[in-house]
Amino acid sequence: MSENDVKIGVVSCSGEDCLGGTISRLATRKMLDEIRPDETVTICLPLYLAGGEEERGFAENYPTIAVDGCSKCCAKRATEKYSGSVGASIDLSDIIGKEIAEAGALSTRDLTDEHREMVKKVSKEVRIKFDEVLNDYLKNVVAKGLDKSGRKPAGGCGCGCG
Amino acid sequence: MSNRVKVIPCSGMGKVYGLVARESALRVVKELCPGEADTVCLAYIVTGDSEAEKLVKGEKCITLDGCPAMCAAKNAEIAGGIVKEKIRVVDAFRRHKGAKPGNATALTDEGWQIVDEIAGEIAERVKELSREG
Repeated sequence: MSENDVKIGVVSCSGEDCLGGTISRLATRKMLDEIRPDETVTICLPLYLAGGEEERGFAENYPTIAVDGCSKCCAKRATEKYSGSVGASIDLSDIIGKEIAEAGALSTRDLTDEHREMVKKVSKEVRIKFDEVLNDYLKNVVAKGLDKSGRKPAGGCGCGCG
Repeated sequence: MSNRVKVIPCSGMGKVYGLVARESALRVVKELCPGEADTVCLAYIVTGDSEAEKLVKGEKCITLDGCPAMCAAKNAEIAGGIVKEKIRVVDAFRRHKGAKPGNATALTDEGWQIVDEIAGEIAERVKELSREG
């Protein structure tokens, strides 16, 4: 399995009632549109309840990163409640500050350069977590593959040739 | 119980309709009816927290959904909200055949025009519901 075969789920809270929700949404969209377009998938969070088995299986099917706009961490908690454990989570309060994250709702019509900077900063954090989660996942896949073959890891290239 | 109508959009991540739903709701609660309407994070409702349910239970709600899954309407109902109106964003698009509204990240001028149209209709409904008491 190559890196290109793996998709990582990025789930944002998209909270409508606070600034952090808009930033979490835009940072997640940036992953989908620009940063890792071929390797990122997402799901509308409310589908865990409104959808079916397929939607609830999201976190089981994809290693998932929750991106939360405030410290209520709804994306992380809802994913873990209905779908499965997350590989990583990001709380915007830790990046842009609690007070800013919980400030009033923001329309994308009112985006300023300052908000765009926040999106950039958060998406950078998402990208770091993304690479960590992807590496862990691939390591796991290799380890499982070696278990199945009965061979022990020989170090080096990891292909079992040693 | 508050006397403000809860305007709850789906904010769907995958398609422009989710963004149109979200922006229409924000226009209503922030600009058109700030004293008569407010919103609640749908993700918070989805968690099922009792505090989140308190914000919706027994409250008049208008939901906006971008796809047939009707996530906002279903989740508001599960939380005990009284859903007075279920807006389907695609219905507004039927009046704008061939429109190029943008995508799930950003809207075009045409997209904003549709947002303003939907928001105007919701604002009327909010005012009616507020008068009903």
